[in-house]
Amino acid sequence: MPRRYGYFFLAPVVLFLGAVIVLPLAHAFWTSLHRVRGLSTTFVGLANYVRALTDDAFWHSLGVSVVFTASSVALHLVLGLALALLLDQLRFARTAMRIAFLTPWMVAPAVGATIWLWLLEPQFGVVNWLLRAVHVVNAPVAWLGEPGTALGAVIGVDVWRGVPFVMLLMLAGLQTIPAEQYEAAAMDGAGAWQRFRHVTWPNLRYLTVVATTLDVINTIRHYDIIGVMTAGGPAGATETLPVLLYNTAFRANRFGDAAAVGVLLLLVVLAFAAVYVKVARLDRIERT
Amino acid sequence: MRTRLGVRRVLAAIVAAAASGTALADPQIVLQWQTANLTESQYEPIWRKTIAEFEAAHPGIKIEPVLVARKDHWTKFVAAAQARKAPCIVSVDLTTAAYNGYLMPLDTYWNAEPASFRKAWSEDMLKAMRWKGRLYGLPIWGGTYAEIYNRDLVTKAGLDPSKPPKTFDDYMTWAKKLTGDDHWATAVLGGKTDTTTRVLLTWIWANGGEAFNADMTEATFAKNPKSLAAIKAYLSLAKNGLAAPAPTTTNYLEQTNLYAQAKIATMRNAYWAIAKVVGDNPSMNGKSFVAPIPANVPNAPTLATVTASSISASCTHPEEAWKFIKFDADRKWSIERAKVANWMPLRNDLADDPAIKSDPMLEQFVKIGQNARSYPLPHPLWADIASNDIVDAVQKALLAPDKTDDIFRELDTKLTKKLKDI
Repeated sequence: MPRRYGYFFLAPVVLFLGAVIVLPLAHAFWTSLHRVRGLSTTFVGLANYVRALTDDAFWHSLGVSVVFTASSVALHLVLGLALALLLDQLRFARTAMRIAFLTPWMVAPAVGATIWLWLLEPQFGVVNWLLRAVHVVNAPVAWLGEPGTALGAVIGVDVWRGVPFVMLLMLAGLQTIPAEQYEAAAMDGAGAWQRFRHVTWPNLRYLTVVATTLDVINTIRHYDIIGVMTAGGPAGATETLPVLLYNTAFRANRFGDAAAVGVLLLLVVLAFAAVYVKVARLDRIERT
Repeated sequence: MRTRLGVRRVLAAIVAAAASGTALADPQIVLQWQTANLTESQYEPIWRKTIAEFEAAHPGIKIEPVLVARKDHWTKFVAAAQARKAPCIVSVDLTTAAYNGYLMPLDTYWNAEPASFRKAWSEDMLKAMRWKGRLYGLPIWGGTYAEIYNRDLVTKAGLDPSKPPKTFDDYMTWAKKLTGDDHWATAVLGGKTDTTTRVLLTWIWANGGEAFNADMTEATFAKNPKSLAAIKAYLSLAKNGLAAPAPTTTNYLEQTNLYAQAKIATMRNAYWAIAKVVGDNPSMNGKSFVAPIPANVPNAPTLATVTASSISASCTHPEEAWKFIKFDADRKWSIERAKVANWMPLRNDLADDPAIKSDPMLEQFVKIGQNARSYPLPHPLWADIASNDIVDAVQKALLAPDKTDDIFRELDTKLTKKLKDI
């Protein structure tokens, strides 16, 4: 069969990926080089990038993104691993528990965020009511009204949403560890902590790096929870880069500036994607 | 015989089915309609009735309401307008939308209407509907901002409802008396919508200040001492514990919720807020009274919003859209909106209508509105400035009251630069 037939068979995939990935990215890049005011556009070269990189708002949002992502990913990993270890030990109701823990991940982020918005409502929210009932606080706490608590609250909700994904990955990893390794460790007199340190952890290390990288990529570009709960407020305290992008495009109507922020955000995500590819390649080399 | 009759019936049925099939196949024009208010329960019965009666009178046109939460209304419209898929009939910040090319000029349709129709709106009102001399909207309803009080809470605090506060000092005195354990005098609005800006402007104007110079090329929130003093007075309500907690997340919905649950005794808003409150808590019916906004200068204007219906630039059936806008602007619906949803009519020919005059509170709002400035302010960047920049400054000042001067000075600088960037 002539070699060119291969290209023919590849064409549908190339066309599809071109339509859903390359074209939108090219359009976003094209937009980032223009001053867009409603339906009129003017070519401005790299002016939007210069404005973004010299704007305090961009660096502030980058800082918020780093804090949000680092805190969320760290908590996803610690809690995800803890829950995976717990589920792995269970000998009854395992499936039911697994489904129960997965529920937050199954709920659409915007729906989950709306539920939490009402739970955290200062006057009529359940969280304040419970805390007041047990005398932890004696006045309503404005969870989303103060910069510190607002950022903490959106991180908390993201942890609630993101832990099940990491838990699932870790659980899959735990189930691939050969039982013989644990038996050998037990015969050598290893305790629970030593078994975790010398058997479980080394086996999960690669998976942890993969989970971390994927989770960073997923979290740094996350919009829904913050968009619904605080829209970046109060006073920009929760304005991560995706929220800044949305606010610049759809609230401020400056699509060129927003596209520049989007391209810069893409570069950050690509950097982590490169780490992921490198780790995966190293693992493949080690295995061969 | 019987068989022949049966065949005829079958043939008749086929012909009838074919005829009805042809009727079904007739192209029906579908017009989408999006405003920020279709999701508000007090308005729902009216818009459903409006659509039903319009469709009955215009069988070839179907109106499809686009239900979108108030806070997402503008962003959804912008996204759709950018994709050239915006709903045909929209109510949006007219100047901003017209400047961005999202709206269609209506002069052709307007000029084709008889003088009797065009006379229903004052020239002043129509001025707010124009951008660069072209008409982009038909005024449908409005709302005058005033101070709304809970009569029971006022009386309980030992205050006289017949003598509401007239100055800022009076207001602060009342606020102290109206605040107690777990309830407050009022709510300071600092949530991320332009309602925050509306209320702030009423305070500034009530103190004789100005937020902008006359041609809107310069912001004067801090530059004008009266404006800055008014801002400080307003925000001090939160600082001094006289306003409900969490002002940076408080918007129209939270404000009316708090008022409906008797958590706050007074709210600055338009007449529609009372309908919303009664909808949330029917026991509040008849318990409110309204008074002019306390002011430190004589004849201080209040703020009156003007909501217009426009046709989006991408609408493929503008003539049919205009028919619906005209229908919706009719006296009948203006009166229904006023009576049921508490939205003020903007037509000249309704001021003395018995249906309007029979509602004492509406009459009071109309009276207060005789000295009002039209809102949104006429600048192409107003939607952004009102719901982002000014709100951000208010939030920052609420979080760091000692830095209020600097925050609003920075706002002046930022906005003055921005106002010229069109």
